[in-house]
Amino acid sequence: MSADVSDLSLVRRVQRGDKGAFDALVLKYQHKVVKLVMRYVRNPAEAEDIAQEAFIKAYRALPQFRGDSAFYTWLYRIAINTAKNAVVSRDRSPVEYNLDAEHSDESYDMQSRLKDSETPEGLVLTDEIRGTVNAAIEALPEDLRTAIVLRELEGLSYEEIAAAMGCPVGTVRSRIFRAREAIDRRLREVFEGGLGRAEELG
Amino acid sequence: MRMKRASDRIGMLALALAVASVAGADESQKWLERMNQALTTLNYDGVFSHWQGGKVETLHIIHRVLDGAVTERLVSLDGSGREFIRTGSELACYLPDQRTVLVERQPPATLLLGSLPNFEAATSEFYEIKAAKRTRLLGRKTQLIVVNPKDEYRYGYRLWIEESTGMPLRTELCDGQGRVIEQVVFASITWPSHIPDSAFKPDVSTQGFNWLREESGPLAAGDPPMMWRALKLPPGFRMSVRAAQKMPGSRDPVAHLVFTDGLASVSVFVESRTHTNHPLSGSVQVGSSSAFTTVIDGHPVTAVGEVPPETVQFIANAVKADPHAAAPVHSPFDSAVPPLDPTPLQLDPSRGTVPVMH
Amino acid sequence: MTNEELESQLSAMFDNELPESECELLARRLARDESLKARWGRYATIGAALRMERGLRTDSGLARAVSVAVAAEPSLLATGRARELVRPVVRRWWQPAAGAAVAAGVAFGCIVWMRSEAPAAPEVAQARMIAPAIPVARAMVRSAAPDSYVVPTTVEATGASSSPPFIPPAELADYVVAHSEFSAPLLRHSVLSSLVTADPGTGNAASAPTGGDNDQPK
Repeated sequence: MSADVSDLSLVRRVQRGDKGAFDALVLKYQHKVVKLVMRYVRNPAEAEDIAQEAFIKAYRALPQFRGDSAFYTWLYRIAINTAKNAVVSRDRSPVEYNLDAEHSDESYDMQSRLKDSETPEGLVLTDEIRGTVNAAIEALPEDLRTAIVLRELEGLSYEEIAAAMGCPVGTVRSRIFRAREAIDRRLREVFEGGLGRAEELG
Repeated sequence: MRMKRASDRIGMLALALAVASVAGADESQKWLERMNQALTTLNYDGVFSHWQGGKVETLHIIHRVLDGAVTERLVSLDGSGREFIRTGSELACYLPDQRTVLVERQPPATLLLGSLPNFEAATSEFYEIKAAKRTRLLGRKTQLIVVNPKDEYRYGYRLWIEESTGMPLRTELCDGQGRVIEQVVFASITWPSHIPDSAFKPDVSTQGFNWLREESGPLAAGDPPMMWRALKLPPGFRMSVRAAQKMPGSRDPVAHLVFTDGLASVSVFVESRTHTNHPLSGSVQVGSSSAFTTVIDGHPVTAVGEVPPETVQFIANAVKADPHAAAPVHSPFDSAVPPLDPTPLQLDPSRGTVPVMH
Repeated sequence: MTNEELESQLSAMFDNELPESECELLARRLARDESLKARWGRYATIGAALRMERGLRTDSGLARAVSVAVAAEPSLLATGRARELVRPVVRRWWQPAAGAAVAAGVAFGCIVWMRSEAPAAPEVAQARMIAPAIPVARAMVRSAAPDSYVVPTTVEATGASSSPPFIPPAELADYVVAHSEFSAPLLRHSVLSSLVTADPGTGNAASAPTGGDNDQPK
């Protein structure tokens, strides 16, 4: 496996004070981190809160990151610790002491509060995204589809894909890029059409 | 004395509050008193975030009052595993990251979750205390009480006090411009009627840990140490304690003066020995406390307090030896703070604009 | 470079397949360019969608919320002003100065400190076997010259800018704790724990002596 040079170049920029570079790291790994956190909490809103906390902790701890491990490995550990702590602190609370009857129906668990964005519309959009991407994949020429699937689903490096497909590495890079472009064209339609938000962060 | 059930107590407090006369500072003071009462007498179990100096820590606190005995446990949830467990007047600090347990004696009045001293009437000259809006925190009705300093020598507070229990669900220490210096926000809290002893056992296994216990001994025999006074003080501050005490790890007594305006307090420590190689004067921030060290007549003087840096600097620079005063010697572990020195301090009319008052 | 070439680089960089030399330039550009970031974010979404990952709602504000929070954080780069933020390490009475001999209790891990200089009165602490129910230790003794500690939090010299940096007295930590008994800080523990924090890098007091038989490494 190749070293994570691109992550490291972003990390170095963050360590030198470039906060925009951290946005790029968040964008790349937010799905993975939320998926990881959801092993510990089932509520998606809560998982996002924990993921957010994990990213901020990672930002603050970044000066201590020396590149001994891959950035994602390091981030992964922070995310797990954050999730575990959140679970521990939540599960600690003993039986709620009932004060007045007046208050009993007004209390709620803060950690599972509804966020504004957790509307049915938000959930539908996720399914729509998945549907769009998968439909776009199906519509791809076979060589592009194979390349992107080997990359995203099997996690193979360009070299490994080149060996598997019997073509040069440069061709692999080009095929993956063109596959992404085709899917992205459809994705942008969904983003722009659905919520009217074009090139937005996240 | 067996503590009444929390629900009885809450009912009584609510009734007292309803019956008490309303309007302005009086009502706000009562909220603060309720808050102090809640912090000291209720059982509570909660998770909160503590923000200070740009850093946030998540902590879990359990507090129980049973038959008049207070037991508390504070656990850091941020990976260090550090815990503080207080049983009566003994505080054990579990430091798994250093494989050490420290045991200290702490006067019974010191809670792990601090509370404000009772607001005396005199302090309204220097603080504006008012009831602001009512909001909901954690689904409960809370009353925001704001304590604004009237000058630049002190800090202020914002307290969101929960209506039925008096518990502060959110507390902020602010400077004169309203900037938050320190903040405690509860993410969840309950008031269990019963908390078992097992809740106060540390999570860490201490096998192989180093146990360190501080032992305070008597002061070295000999001449009582020289005492000190302040020639002038910021408006509203007065001396409340003057003593010599033995600092841990040293046999030489240190003069310890405490100045307070009723809400904020500043300690001044003056060492007996004169140091020839003492460093320069300077300011230090330790957490939200300001500290200032200087040298007066060859003695190192350090002032510390939860006040702006200017205040500790003012007071430290105003300290002067007071050869006429007798020093009551007390250990910080005495349950009662010694009474004020009844003899009025001699004022030096050539200096200072504000008399030192008891 | 055409747009397409740029985006092709972006795709390769996303896969960690862009040569390092090109990464630096592209990283700089990516950090500044919102539309590039958005595309980069959609590459991540494509992968997540392909893998049928549940969890993150595509329109969630997670990345934006983190961006806003990070914007409010202090810069990771030191600003080089007179005020320096130094990791807080403050010595407390139980941390031995260099040269203090230490004897470890054998069975129960109790530590008894011994003086580093010849005592005026004959007072020699001895290591003792002590039952855990009655732990006993002698008073800590500080050596005459406190040596290794680091200034806590922030320090500002009140002298001229060319004067040497102010070093607070070694007793400062004890003073802050002694004062806390008379004040009401929001969290008393924060006074204690902030003074206990030791930077593992300095090796100052963080490593406990390991003379005891029962001192098992974790």
